Amino acid sequence: MASTLISAKLPPDVDPTKAPIAFGRRALPKLSREIQSPELLTQQRALMALCDLVHDPENVYQAVQIGFLENLKTLLLHHDSTVRQKTTEILYIMAMHNVGRQGLIQNAVIPVLTELLDDPEDICRKNTHQVLDMMAKLPEGAVDILHAGLIPLLVVRLKTESDEIQELILGTLSNCLRMEASEALATDAITILKEKLTHPSATIRNKAAQVILEIGTHPEGKSTVCEEVIPLLVSLLEDTDPEVQASAAGALMFATIKPKGRCLALRAEAIPRLLKLVAVENSKARLSAIKTLTMLAEVAEGRRKLLERTDIFQQCLRDPSEAVKRAAEIAIRVIRWKPF
Amino acid sequence: MRSAFPALPRDGCLGALQPRRCGSGSPLRPPPCCLPCARRRRRPPPCPTPTAALPAPCPPALSTEHRWRPTSRECPKHAALPECIHHPNAFEIQRQREARRKALARKRAEEQIQLRTPEPVEGREHVHVQTELYLEEISDRIIEVDVECQTDAFLDRPPTPFFVPAKTGRDVATQIEEGELFDFDIEVKPILEVLVGKTIEQALLEVMEEEELAKLLAHQRAYAELRNAELAEVQRLEEQDRRYREEKERCKQQQMEMLQKEKETMEKIAAQAFAKRYLTDLIPSVFNNLHESGFFYDPIERDIETEFLPWLMTEVEETLEKKTLGRVMLDSLIRTVTEKRLDVFSQKPLPDQVEAPAEEHRPTDNAPQVAAETEAADQAVTADEETDQPAAEDQASHHITFQSEEANQEAMEDSETD
Repeated sequence: MASTLISAKLPPDVDPTKAPIAFGRRALPKLSREIQSPELLTQQRALMALCDLVHDPENVYQAVQIGFLENLKTLLLHHDSTVRQKTTEILYIMAMHNVGRQGLIQNAVIPVLTELLDDPEDICRKNTHQVLDMMAKLPEGAVDILHAGLIPLLVVRLKTESDEIQELILGTLSNCLRMEASEALATDAITILKEKLTHPSATIRNKAAQVILEIGTHPEGKSTVCEEVIPLLVSLLEDTDPEVQASAAGALMFATIKPKGRCLALRAEAIPRLLKLVAVENSKARLSAIKTLTMLAEVAEGRRKLLERTDIFQQCLRDPSEAVKRAAEIAIRVIRWKPF
Repeated sequence: MRSAFPALPRDGCLGALQPRRCGSGSPLRPPPCCLPCARRRRRPPPCPTPTAALPAPCPPALSTEHRWRPTSRECPKHAALPECIHHPNAFEIQRQREARRKALARKRAEEQIQLRTPEPVEGREHVHVQTELYLEEISDRIIEVDVECQTDAFLDRPPTPFFVPAKTGRDVATQIEEGELFDFDIEVKPILEVLVGKTIEQALLEVMEEEELAKLLAHQRAYAELRNAELAEVQRLEEQDRRYREEKERCKQQQMEMLQKEKETMEKIAAQAFAKRYLTDLIPSVFNNLHESGFFYDPIERDIETEFLPWLMTEVEETLEKKTLGRVMLDSLIRTVTEKRLDVFSQKPLPDQVEAPAEEHRPTDNAPQVAAETEAADQAVTADEETDQPAAEDQASHHITFQSEEANQEAMEDSETD
C-alpha cells in the first residue's frame, strides 16, 4: 500500500516523450550517451528528461563535471528545431545557477550562441537571449559577451525583434555596458535607445532608461547622452510607471555630472519634477532624485532655486533607508555651500 | 498417440503389404510409402534378433526397404511451434540412423549366414527342396486375403471425467456482499493523497524557484541602485574636485601672472630711473658737443658769413678784375697806339693832325659807349677772363676812350689804396 510520506525523489512519471532516467548517479551519464546517439527520437527524449533534471543544482554540478556542455554545444547547431529549442532551454536553466554559469564560461559556449541569434524559430531565439541575459549578470559573463563581439549584433536586433526579446536584449545590454560602452556608442546605440524611451510598453522604457544609465557611467558616454537624451529623460520623470521614473532619475543622475548636462537639465525644467519625486515616499526614485538634485545644486542657478526648498530634504533625513539619509545630508550641504 | 500397427503375418514372409488405407488418419502422419518388395526365393531366415516386440519405437523389420517413417507422436499443437518440431526430427533421424545401422549389421550377418552354404559339387546342383512333412505349394503368388481393419478416426481423447470425490464434511455457504472486500473511497484516499501531494510538491518547488529568482532579482536591483547612487556620488565628487582643482590652478596661474607683472613693473621702474639719471648728463653734454661742433649757429651771423661776405668778396674780385682788365686794356691800347704812332712816325708826319680831331670826337661819342662797354667788360671779366683779349681787340678802336677811363681807374685805385 502506498504510504503518505512524501519522498525526496520526484514522482515517477510515465511521460512517453521523456527518456527513462537511470537511478541515482547513473542518470546523467546515461543521458549523455543517449544524446550522442544518431537517432533523432532518442536525442529528443533524452533532452526532455535532462530538461527536468537540470532544475536541481546538484545535477547541474554533475552535468558540468561529466562534460555535458561539450555535447550540448554540438547540439546547438542541430538541424532539428526541437533539439535546438530544448538545448537552449537546458542552457538557460543551467545558467540560473552559478555553477552552470561558470561552466558555460569555461566551455566557451557563448561564441556558439552567436550563431543562434538568427535562428528561424522564435522560441530558440528567446531562450538564447535568456541565456545571454543570465550570463551578463555575472561580471565574467559580461566580459565574455563583450569579447565575443555580441554588442553590435544585439544593438542591431533591438530594432527588429519582438517586445519580449527586446526586454531581454535591453537587460543584457545594460549589464554589459556597465563594463565598457565604446562598442555600443560606435554602433549608434543612443539613437535606437531614444526611440525605445517612447515605446508604449513600460518595461521597455524602464530597461532602455537603465541602458542609458549604464552608458552614462562612462566619460565618453556622458557627452553623447548629454547632447541628445536629456530632454527625453526629463519628460520621462513624469511617466505613469514608478519604475520608469526611477530609471529616468538614475540616468539623469549620471548625465548631469558634466556641467553641460547640468545646464541642459536646468533648462529643461528638471528641478520641479525631481522635487516631486523626492516628496513621494517611494524609495526607488527617491535616492536617484536626491542625487540628481545634488548634481544640479552644484550650479549657482540650481542652488538658488533649491535654497527655498530645503524642507523637502529635511524630510528625507527621516527615511528608514540609510542611503537616502546620507544622500539627503550631502544634498543639504551642497545646497548651502557658498563660494566664500 | 501411438497408431496401432497391423499385425505382421505370422509366416514371416513379408509380402508386399498393401498400403494401409487410413480413412481419416492424422493429417500429419504421412502415409507409409509402399516400396516394392524384393522377391526372395528362399525364405529368409528368421532374423536373429527378436522382433516380436512390436510396440518398439521403430519396427525392426529385416527388410529394410520398408522404411517406416516413425509416426510423429506429437500433438498437433506442438507442430505449430517451430521449436518443438525440431527435436522429434533429430530424434527421428537418430532413430533412423540406428535402424539403418542395425539393418546393415543384420545384412552382413545374413550374408555370412548365406556364405556358410558350401558350393555344389561338380555335376550336382543345389536345389531348393522342401523337407517338411507336408509339402507346400510354393508359388509366387501367395494367396492373399485382404483383411482390413481400421481404427476409428482419430478422436480426441475424451476428457477425463471430473473426479468428484465423495462428499465429506459439512456444507457451509458464505457470500461476499458488494462493498465488503473493497471500498473504493477508502482505498483511493492514500493514493490520492500521494498524487495530490506529489503534484503540489512539484508545483511548490517550481513556485519557490520562481520566487527565489524574483527575490534575487529584487535584491540585485536594490544593490544596483545603491551602487549607481554611490558611483554617481563618486563621479560628482570627482567632478567637483576637478572643478576645484582647476579653479585653484587658475587662481594660482593668475597670481603668478600678477607677480610676474609686478616684477616686470618694478624692473621697468628701476630701469626707467636709472636711465633717467644716466641721461640727465647726456643732454647737456650733447648740447655742448653740438654747440662746439657748430650745429647751433646765429642765423644772421651765418647768413652774413655764408652769403654776404662771399658776395662781397666776389664783388671785390670783380671790381679788382675790372680794374686789372682796364689796366690790361689800357696797356694794350697804349701799345697799339704807340705801335701805330710808331708806324705813322715812321711813314708820314702829316696825318697826325687829322687823327687828333677824329680822336677828340671819338671820346665824346664813345663816352656812353665806354660806360656801357666797361659794364660789359666788367661782366665779361667776371664771366671769363679769357675774353680779355677779344674784348681788348674790340676796344682797340676805342683806345682813346680809355684815357678817360684810365683816369677814372686811377681815381678808383687811389680810393682803394686809401
